[in-house]
Amino acid sequence: MSIYAVNKLCYRVVREPALRQALTESPEEALRSATPPLSDDELQALLAGDVGYLSKQGANHFLLHQLGRFKLLGLDLPTYADRIRAAYAGK
Amino acid sequence: MAEIVGGVGVPHSPHFPGIVARDEPLAPELRRLYGEASAHLRNLAPDVLIFFTCDHYNIFFVESVPIFSIGVAPSASGPSDYRELPACTVPIAADLARHLQAELVRAEFDVGMSQEFEFDHPVTVPMSFLTPAMNVPIVPVFINGLIPPLPSAPRCLALGVKIRDVLQQLPGRTRVAAVASGSFSLEIGGPRLSPTSHTGIPDPAWADHVLARIGAGEVAALAADASEKQLAEAGNAAGELLTWIAMLGLAGPGRATFLEAQPQFGHAFGCWLTATD
Repeated sequence: MSIYAVNKLCYRVVREPALRQALTESPEEALRSATPPLSDDELQALLAGDVGYLSKQGANHFLLHQLGRFKLLGLDLPTYADRIRAAYAGK
Repeated sequence: MAEIVGGVGVPHSPHFPGIVARDEPLAPELRRLYGEASAHLRNLAPDVLIFFTCDHYNIFFVESVPIFSIGVAPSASGPSDYRELPACTVPIAADLARHLQAELVRAEFDVGMSQEFEFDHPVTVPMSFLTPAMNVPIVPVFINGLIPPLPSAPRCLALGVKIRDVLQQLPGRTRVAAVASGSFSLEIGGPRLSPTSHTGIPDPAWADHVLARIGAGEVAALAADASEKQLAEAGNAAGELLTWIAMLGLAGPGRATFLEAQPQFGHAFGCWLTATD
C-alpha cells in the first residue's frame, strides 16, 4: 500500500471543511471513506493520531502536520510536534 | 525591448500577516523589512512582476507535479491554503505569461502551462505586503522547490537568465521586476523541529552562507553550492532558495541594495537594482 492515501487525505484536509467536520464528528467513518483507500495500518495510525508511525512510513511532513494545524484526530500542533520528536528521539 | 529594472526576495510565513495585524512584538520589524522591499518595488515602478514561487502541495500535488510551470490565467485568487488570511485576487499578465512559456519551451526549457488555479500563501502573503493594492500584474513562475526531486539550482539560475533573454527581445518599453518568495533553511513538521515549535531551522550555517553569497553577488557559486544533498539537509522547505536563484538570474547578479536576515527564521529580505547595459 502506498503512503499516498495518507498524503492525499492530508491534502484534502486543507481544502475541504466538510472533511474536517467529518473527521471531527465520526473519524473512523470519514477515514474508511477516503479515496484512495487507506490500508488498515494507516487507518489505525490516523485514528490514534500516531504521526510518528506515519512519518516513519514515509508520509510527507508538510502534509501530515496539517492534521495538527486543524486539530484533527486528537492532535494539535504542539502534540503533533511532540510525537514527531518522540519518534526520532536519540537520533 | 522590455527593461529589467530590479528585484526583491522576501519570505512568506503565513503567520506574518496576523502578527502585523495584531501588532505583536515582531510587527515593527516585519513592517520595516517588508517596507524596504515594498518601497524598492515602488521606486522601480514596474509594469509587471515575474514572481518566482514554490507550490506548497496546493496546486499540483494530485494531478501532476511540474518541475517548472507558468500561470497563464487572467488572474488568480487566494490564499487557497489559509482561508483565515485576507482573500485577494492577483492580476496576471496573461499575454506575457503565454509568450514567456512558449519561448521557454522553444529554448528547450520544458516549462508547463497552468491555466486555472488558486494562489497559495507563498504568493498572497508577499503580495499583500509588497503591492497591497494588487495593481501590478504578475507572471507566476512555479518552481518545484518542495516535492523531491527538485530541479537543480544551476538549472533554476539558467531559467532566470533565459527569461531575461526572452524579455529583452520584446518590443516596447515594459518595465519588469522580479520577486522571489522563500526561505533558505526551514523544516515544516519534519523530524528537525525546534524544541518549541512544529517548525525548525535545521542548517543556520547554510542560511548564513547563502546570505554571504548573494550579498557578494556570487550567484553562480551559490547555485553550485546548493546541491540536492545540501538543500535536503537545510530542511524540507529549503528548496525555496531556488526562487531566489532564479530571481537573481533574471534581475541580478549585482550587489544587493538592501539585504537583511532574520536568522531566527532562516530567511532574509533583499532588494536589487539591475545594472543597465
